[in-house]
Amino acid sequence: MTPIAKRLAGHLARGFVMILVVATISFFIINNIPGDPMAARFEELIEQGASPEAAAQSVKVLYGFQPDGSMWQQYLDYMAGLFRLDLGQSVTRPGTPVLDVLLEKAKWTVLPVLIGTLVSFLVGIILGVYAAIKRTGKLGDALAISGSLLHGIPQYVLAMLLVVIFATLIPILPADGPVDILFEPGFNAGYIGSLAEHAVLPVVTYALSAYGGWILAMKSSVVTVLGDDFILAAELRGMKRSIVFRYIARNAILPLFTILALSLGLLMGGAVFIEKIFNYPGLGLLLIDSVNERDYATMGGAFLLITGAIIIANIVADLFYTVIDPRVRSGEESA
Amino acid sequence: MKRLAAVVTLASLAAVTACSGGGTTNQSGSGGGGGLFTTIDVNRPGLEPSAPANPYAPKGNSFVGYNAMNIAWVNNHLTDPNQALPGIAASWEIAPDNSSITLKLQPNAKWSDGKSVTAEDVRFSIGVAYTQGSTAFSTTPGAAGAAAEVTVVDNTTVKITQDMANPSPKFARGVFDTIVLPAHVWSSVLPADFWDKLKASRGEGADAEKAREEILALGAKVLAFAPPKDVSAGPFVLERVNPGEALLVKNKNFFNAANVAPSQVKFLNYTGNEQIWNYLSSGKLDHSGFVAAPTDVMNRIKAAPGSEVIKGYSPVAVGLAFNQSKKPYDNVHVRRGLAYLINREEVTKVASPEGGTAATTTSGIHQKAAQAWIPETVGELEPYKTDVAKAEEEFKAAGLTKKDGKWTLADGKPWKMSMHAPSGFSDWLSAQENIKSQLIKAGVDAEVVTTTDYPLYLEELAAGKYDAGFWLMALGPAPYDIFQRLYGASNGWANVAGKVSHSPAGKSGNWMGGAEEIEVDGAKINPGELTGKLNSSTADEAKPIMAQLAKAANQDLPVIQLWDYVNNQFVNNSRFTGWPHDDEILRSGAKVLLSGVWIQTGMIKAKK
Amino acid sequence: MSATLIPEAASATGTIRRNFWRGVWRVMKRKPSRMAGVIICAGFAFMGVFGPMFYPGNLPGDANQITQPPSWAHWFGTDPQGRDVLALVITGSRYVLLCAAVTAVITVVVGTSLGLFSGFKRGRWDTVLMRITDMKLTIPGLPLLLVLATVWKFGSPIQMGLVLGLLGWGGVARAVRAQTLSLRERGFIEAARGLGLSTRHIVSRELLPSMAPYIAMNMLISVTGAVYAQVGLFFLGVLPYESDNWGVMLNLAVFQAGAMIQPNALGYLMAPLLAILLLTLGIVLVVDAMDEIFNPRLREE
Repeated sequence: MTPIAKRLAGHLARGFVMILVVATISFFIINNIPGDPMAARFEELIEQGASPEAAAQSVKVLYGFQPDGSMWQQYLDYMAGLFRLDLGQSVTRPGTPVLDVLLEKAKWTVLPVLIGTLVSFLVGIILGVYAAIKRTGKLGDALAISGSLLHGIPQYVLAMLLVVIFATLIPILPADGPVDILFEPGFNAGYIGSLAEHAVLPVVTYALSAYGGWILAMKSSVVTVLGDDFILAAELRGMKRSIVFRYIARNAILPLFTILALSLGLLMGGAVFIEKIFNYPGLGLLLIDSVNERDYATMGGAFLLITGAIIIANIVADLFYTVIDPRVRSGEESA
Repeated sequence: MKRLAAVVTLASLAAVTACSGGGTTNQSGSGGGGGLFTTIDVNRPGLEPSAPANPYAPKGNSFVGYNAMNIAWVNNHLTDPNQALPGIAASWEIAPDNSSITLKLQPNAKWSDGKSVTAEDVRFSIGVAYTQGSTAFSTTPGAAGAAAEVTVVDNTTVKITQDMANPSPKFARGVFDTIVLPAHVWSSVLPADFWDKLKASRGEGADAEKAREEILALGAKVLAFAPPKDVSAGPFVLERVNPGEALLVKNKNFFNAANVAPSQVKFLNYTGNEQIWNYLSSGKLDHSGFVAAPTDVMNRIKAAPGSEVIKGYSPVAVGLAFNQSKKPYDNVHVRRGLAYLINREEVTKVASPEGGTAATTTSGIHQKAAQAWIPETVGELEPYKTDVAKAEEEFKAAGLTKKDGKWTLADGKPWKMSMHAPSGFSDWLSAQENIKSQLIKAGVDAEVVTTTDYPLYLEELAAGKYDAGFWLMALGPAPYDIFQRLYGASNGWANVAGKVSHSPAGKSGNWMGGAEEIEVDGAKINPGELTGKLNSSTADEAKPIMAQLAKAANQDLPVIQLWDYVNNQFVNNSRFTGWPHDDEILRSGAKVLLSGVWIQTGMIKAKK
Repeated sequence: MSATLIPEAASATGTIRRNFWRGVWRVMKRKPSRMAGVIICAGFAFMGVFGPMFYPGNLPGDANQITQPPSWAHWFGTDPQGRDVLALVITGSRYVLLCAAVTAVITVVVGTSLGLFSGFKRGRWDTVLMRITDMKLTIPGLPLLLVLATVWKFGSPIQMGLVLGLLGWGGVARAVRAQTLSLRERGFIEAARGLGLSTRHIVSRELLPSMAPYIAMNMLISVTGAVYAQVGLFFLGVLPYESDNWGVMLNLAVFQAGAMIQPNALGYLMAPLLAILLLTLGIVLVVDAMDEIFNPRLREE
């Protein structure tokens, strides 16, 4: 086996084990969640005007399903289902497989996070190079501090500030869901335009909060490359500045692609706060809602999907690293 | 690089659009003259684009009043549970002894696919109702007010008789509340031998038990049923749903289509109350049901152009319920002392200034309903006006002592009253915070804890973990429904097949832990048994019992009634007019969306 | 032989340390913003420890002053109970900062010891520990906390800090291990061993001091992480709470007072947000200073 194939096999095996571990953890946590969803549904129904008898029976129909067998047997069934990509059926959406629910929600999470990640990546690396080269100047310093600050500010603080400024005080952008309702879904200007308009604030929030990380990572990567001997040699040899710059940028950006792959793993679960604040019906909100409704199957599925994406991204990132790093490529473990 | 990003953006947009489904808009709206009507289902946050048009599915895209019809729309009457507006039934006759009801269907009722709504459809729908549990159509042995026989008299007449072994005054209400489904679309959910199975389930023994289980299993099938397309007998039919909205278009075949003003209806998606506040204060909604809102937000909503808040009666109140298994709350003097201490006006002002009226006293009944049921008794009840001196008297009578300005338990141990409310219930959270401040000011140490969600709150409450918690009460209009909140299962009295039995505190869901017999005006009564009687009493029989129970609640104080809810309906006069202001039609049965009822009866007119 | 050498080694480290503190002072002095960072951090520490003492245990509310906009009497307005928002931020800081401190201590202690142990021992233990660390780093924190919050009610600041600390040591462990390995590669440990120094001495006298600023930096970062995570969880409303803290304020401001809709409640929303921003700024500035002290490549000559 080639070193790369060997490494790939190792990663896949490890990723597989991780997913099993996560599935096990989530199965047992979820089976031990306290709370009485039947009582909650009952109270809701009678508050809406149902009689106690009718509410009691209707709750029994919805939540009365008792899984067969011992906990151990249920666990085995759950894991067996997992291999068939069967995550069970949603409790509060009878008849709908959890996987369908997840895929429906996933796009609202992926949309802002993906665009936000890519935008912040591009802006971050360009400014990162600049911050590294000008690191002794005032501007480079300001860039670095702004990067650290934006990297440090929690996403929800940014999101709330943006909503207060652009949706409440100066109401120029919407913050009330993923799309305006007047437009028929499809490839028409109105619908796409409305999607884009509603995506502005969430995407900007995500981009701003991720941008700090990129500029910092790029800056430190460039600083590292700047210290490398071959750059020094090139400069001594009197190479053109633009060529030197290209050398620097190319060598400095490689490790960042690894981080990019990792951060794409956060596509699924990276936006809980953004979804909550901008009312995007994505996976994060689904996770919170399914906890509140005690929709056990959906909760476990959402958690598994979010975690699985990260595990896969880790494998991809590591393989990527293998491909670009000659030391690893030759089979030598890096410390 | 930039081009790549743009391509990725477009690709993801395409993916979203492709998944959102589509369908063509058919321009079926005609007549009535109105355009788009925008509203919200306040009982159900989060629209599910993939959910079927099934009114029984918890997240189904079937909106009762719009694209799903009840047999009739029950009114919000103060005392009579059997008043209703016509739905699929144009008229009905209730036998004087409540033993049967004969429904006359709308002669022109048609499904949106052109087929007639028949008596067979109604019978089929009743069959489905049995699988879901309903007041009138229940397989629970001995359930009060259950139907005995469903007979199709002719194509537009259905007769339903009540099982007189355990009759209930709200039998007709149970019938009205039934959703009518198109049998030709839904037929697969009920097996051919369903009615035989139903008959078998009535008896006793193993066979009956098995039949009941089979019917319950059918319930799961009904919940999961997805009709290939929406077939509605209501004024509208579902067009499409995406994550932002559900769009309904006018049903040309609806029997009263000529008087239905809007040509389209949009249900907006929301995930939290603050989003509804936003819609309302920007004047986006033509109608929304009751949502709790703080005063400032309410003022903004009222300031929106065309905005109007219609206040009506809502047979719901909230109280602070005690766990009498815990000391010192087992002592009635402590409970009374607390009732004297807590200023309900202030609590209501802080917690629910627009959505509630401070309770005049604790009677277990909403103050409006109390005036209608037992006007003579109301005056005799102790009002528990805020009175520190009386509170101290009561505390002393309970053996508590005041040390350094703080009340301590009879055995000298410190007393700290711990209150709980679930997160997300903003009015309750505000209320308990305010009560805490009031109590601490009066020398009663107090703390508040917020439980993360409602299911957990109810479980812990039922497990007796809290000293005191917030509890919905006075859920009318039926007298039994009102008092079973205080003297029902949560206080130890189980009502099975009309027989009331009592379990001790901490057993079978008895967390209130009140005494089985309490003294009212010098006589011992069993409030649980009296409440059980209400389930089969006529209105005249109910009144003296209710008077007795109101006095019991007032003297024994299992809860301190804090405020009675006000039913705020938010409407906007900019595009539509004719909003009703009559209390009786400002609330209906479970799941019913009022504006749909108003629209289909022709009350709502497009603004010229 | 070794007996004569040890004092020399000790005095050498002593000199290094003295130079180190002089370096710290120089780095601090060069940019006033760094001093500002230290002052902000000290201010927050003071607020968390002594702030609540200036207020009664139960903040007085005024039912006639519910959700008021900022005024002279109430700089950030009042909350829906009619209490002063500024007082709430100050009394609420104790919960937030206490939890953060607990998290930081656990993160640093567990992370450093595991990292040192792993890097020092290498071999099988290293592999096992690093696999566990990898796993911890892979599982996303927030979704895991959301799920954990349902079974484990970590409402009190200490419990909360404990949970966050136990979930958060992975990064520190890995970084400390890498540092240990790199020192090891430079022959540092072998040399000390060759001098006959005990493992304990090598770790406590040689390795730890040279890593101290690095660990301190990670500690500060984990403080901010803990603040964000707990405030975020309370903002989402997935934790039970007994007392006020910034996250509860944010939650109530948005979901109870409607701060995103009506300007009267804006102060109630902005006060905790500004507190978080200020704390972030302070920590970022201090970390920036530490980064330069520690990372020779960034050191500007």
